[in-house]
Amino acid sequence: MIKIDNLRMMYRSGTEQVVAVDDVSLEIKQGQFFTLLGPSGCGKTTTLRCVAGLETPDSGEIGVGNDVVFSSSRHINVPPFRRNIGMVFQSYAIWPHMSVFDNVAFPLLHATPRPSRKQILERVLQALSLVQLVGLEDRPAPYLSGGQQQRLALARALVGEPSVLLLDEPLSNLDAKLREEMRVELRDLVKRLNVTTLFVTHEQIEALAMSDVVAVMQKGKIVQAGTPLEIYTQPQGLFVAEFIGRTNLIRGRVSDRMPSGSAGVVPVETPIATLMCRSLSPASANGSAIVAVRPEDIRLAKPDGSDGAGNTVNGQVERLSFLGETVDCFVRVGESSLMLRLHPSMAPEAGAGISLFLPPESCLVLPDPDGQAAAGAARHGR
Amino acid sequence: MLAVVLVVAFVIMAHLAVILWLSFTDGAPGADALRYGFANYTEVFTDSRTIDVLLNTLGFSVVSLVVALFFGVPAAWLVERTDFRGKTAIFTLMTIGLLIPGFATAMGWLFLLHPRIGLLNVWLIQTFQLSGAPFNIATVLGMGWVQGLNLAPLSFIMTAAVFRSMDPTLEEAAQMNRANLFSTLRRVTMPLAWPGIMAASIYIFTIGFAAFDVPAIIGWGNRIFTFSTFLYLLVNPQDVLPRYGVAAALSTVVMVLAALLSWWYVRMQRQSRRFAVVGGRAYRPKLVPLGGWLATAWAYFAVYFILSKLVPILLLGWASLLPFFQLPSARALSFVSLGHYFSLPWDLALRGIGNTAILMILVPTVTLLISVAFSWIVLRSKIPGRSAFDFIAFLPHAVPNVIFGIGALLLTLYVLQQALPIYGTIWILLIVFTIARISYGTRMTNSGLIQIHPELEESAQMSGARTLSSMRRILLPLLTPTLLYAWLWVALMTYRELTLAVILTSSGNITFPVVIWSLWLGGGLGQASALAMVMLFLMVPITAVYWMVARRQGLLTN
Repeated sequence: MIKIDNLRMMYRSGTEQVVAVDDVSLEIKQGQFFTLLGPSGCGKTTTLRCVAGLETPDSGEIGVGNDVVFSSSRHINVPPFRRNIGMVFQSYAIWPHMSVFDNVAFPLLHATPRPSRKQILERVLQALSLVQLVGLEDRPAPYLSGGQQQRLALARALVGEPSVLLLDEPLSNLDAKLREEMRVELRDLVKRLNVTTLFVTHEQIEALAMSDVVAVMQKGKIVQAGTPLEIYTQPQGLFVAEFIGRTNLIRGRVSDRMPSGSAGVVPVETPIATLMCRSLSPASANGSAIVAVRPEDIRLAKPDGSDGAGNTVNGQVERLSFLGETVDCFVRVGESSLMLRLHPSMAPEAGAGISLFLPPESCLVLPDPDGQAAAGAARHGR
Repeated sequence: MLAVVLVVAFVIMAHLAVILWLSFTDGAPGADALRYGFANYTEVFTDSRTIDVLLNTLGFSVVSLVVALFFGVPAAWLVERTDFRGKTAIFTLMTIGLLIPGFATAMGWLFLLHPRIGLLNVWLIQTFQLSGAPFNIATVLGMGWVQGLNLAPLSFIMTAAVFRSMDPTLEEAAQMNRANLFSTLRRVTMPLAWPGIMAASIYIFTIGFAAFDVPAIIGWGNRIFTFSTFLYLLVNPQDVLPRYGVAAALSTVVMVLAALLSWWYVRMQRQSRRFAVVGGRAYRPKLVPLGGWLATAWAYFAVYFILSKLVPILLLGWASLLPFFQLPSARALSFVSLGHYFSLPWDLALRGIGNTAILMILVPTVTLLISVAFSWIVLRSKIPGRSAFDFIAFLPHAVPNVIFGIGALLLTLYVLQQALPIYGTIWILLIVFTIARISYGTRMTNSGLIQIHPELEESAQMSGARTLSSMRRILLPLLTPTLLYAWLWVALMTYRELTLAVILTSSGNITFPVVIWSLWLGGGLGQASALAMVMLFLMVPITAVYWMVARRQGLLTN
């Protein structure tokens, strides 16, 4: 397990001080796969490197397993080589002057107490078999493919049976196809070994597909942590909604005529229509708000009107973008543009008039950080 | 490791500090009290002799720069940007050309163009019944010519690097936009290469300014002094007492000049890097076809190598075989013998060779150990103020070597004295030679270390290895090719080092080049030539090893 309390770290670049990690606290349970997700420069890698001991934080406390490895108040700072942590680096950091065997044996040779030669041989082979590299022991490390180097880095990180495993964007150097395979393989492996894992990535797909818990970071802070499903379906703010998946964002104002409808549902007046929306926090009436709705949640309205009168808008198809498994459809509604994702067989013609249904349970009200009401055009998140 | 770096940085600074300190004093070493004042500076700035020296030095360095650029820059362009074949051969010859000691070629040129004994002069006078010698090498112009020929390989190597790092697509874009070859060269290539060539020029000018070998061999006997030889005269005069204070003041003045030049150099280099392609080049640029100009290109290279290497070495060899120097003729041939080789003071020469051999092992080893420590502290550690160490390691490059020689001399005479009696031992040479090579060493280890991803060391730490163990198991093995190459280069530079040795040498720590120099100074031109030929001959096997290592590293090809 890993426990981080009130971690802070500043960088000094010239005369300026940049806060890299700003009061981060988190707890990772034994065997959990925990992901730090965020854009570059958000502090996720710095946090990971603080856990590794490769960076020295300014304040806070870090516990790994049952030991406190860093504490500013108690003046504890265990050097990285005594923390018993396995780490896979972004560049893999495979030592090019050694064979595959020597790379994996390295952590064992520096372990205390040092295992016997026979034990080293056994454990290296065991680690290599975990990552399916048996038979390549004598090969010089530079003669491995990218995927093999990645497996080798994993074997080296695991061979010492570390209490936790740190993964620093380990998949970012692989090509798309291989990355997809390694996602599954990597998660299966660490789950099978029941290793506590801290994973850092800027790829939302990796975070969603692999993690037990995802923590989204922005400007050195954790803005939201939860299961992948929670993060995707219940973003608590604009940043998370925009950063993960694609989202239509429509600025509006929470209506003062609160309906007598079901709890947690509020009407929001937007330039395209008054939309019934789901609210995760009590929305103040008449406050400005942003409605977020995922492209795959928007449907074509049923021609018989059985969707009900509300949350239906009419528009014109502006542009289609064929992606293979789906078609992205950009629809102009008044001054705004909505994007929806349809099965290719459902795709309308460009220029056609179209009627869309925005299911209330999929329309999420988010607080408007700018606080200005109903400025107009909808925006597409990424 | 930090301790090593701190001590070395302190020693480097001490050399310069002692010069600054003594430039304000008057008095011999061991005197009871030193008198302070500006008398030395007054003398430097008012004495017509020092003014002459500075003017000579200026003229000498400008001429050598012009000659070096004339033979270096077009050569670099031909090798990097045209379809000229035999690029590897040119690179090899140029690199080896850098290793041939400057005093050897200077001797050769003296035998060719000395007004009285110069072979060409004598022949012209006899053939055309001239009243006087048409050429005189013992002038500022002549010395600059010889020094320029010696420095041309440096300007070649530096500008070749500039041409290589330029983005070839910029030139191609110019051609796609209707510029012909000449206007591309004029409007795109040259402006882009300009800061790099400028930086190389400042660098070469600085080396010319501080050069000792050529002015010593050619100018000394004719009382034409440049800065380095004049300093040597001040601390090592034949008839009066050494003028240490004046030497220190002159050194300080030149240090200021050198600081300005390095500041300019660093600025130019930074500008040049802005134009460089970052990362590897994806494809080879289109090469300019030479067509009918190919023969001209070959002739140009041939002229350079004949003038800079072949002629002087042939003359040196000819002089070494004759009892007294004369024109080649049937009569002269009958005098040819190995007499000089047998009559050499071999016990002195062997002592010099022995000392040089010891230094050739120790200097590169110590230099590179220190350089690795410096680079690691500067590039890998997080010690506050670490970049100051990089600056200090750069100082021996910025400040002319001869000043460090003077600094070491003054340190041993005024400060260390009896406490640490290293004057006249091989250790003082080891220290100063090492300091002089630290700039080169750290540049090499810096670029080696930059190419090694920090994560390779971090992953060793995560695998349980302590800092020193990860250095030994990861860093040093990965640095080995760089270190081997740099070791050989420093060893070869130590082999030919005359400037520093001549200032600090005495009978106990005499080195190989100094033996040649003292023979020359004593008028034994034939013997000096013979020993210089021996020196060149002994260089061949080490140069061959160097060549093999450099070729394996891909440093002799483009």
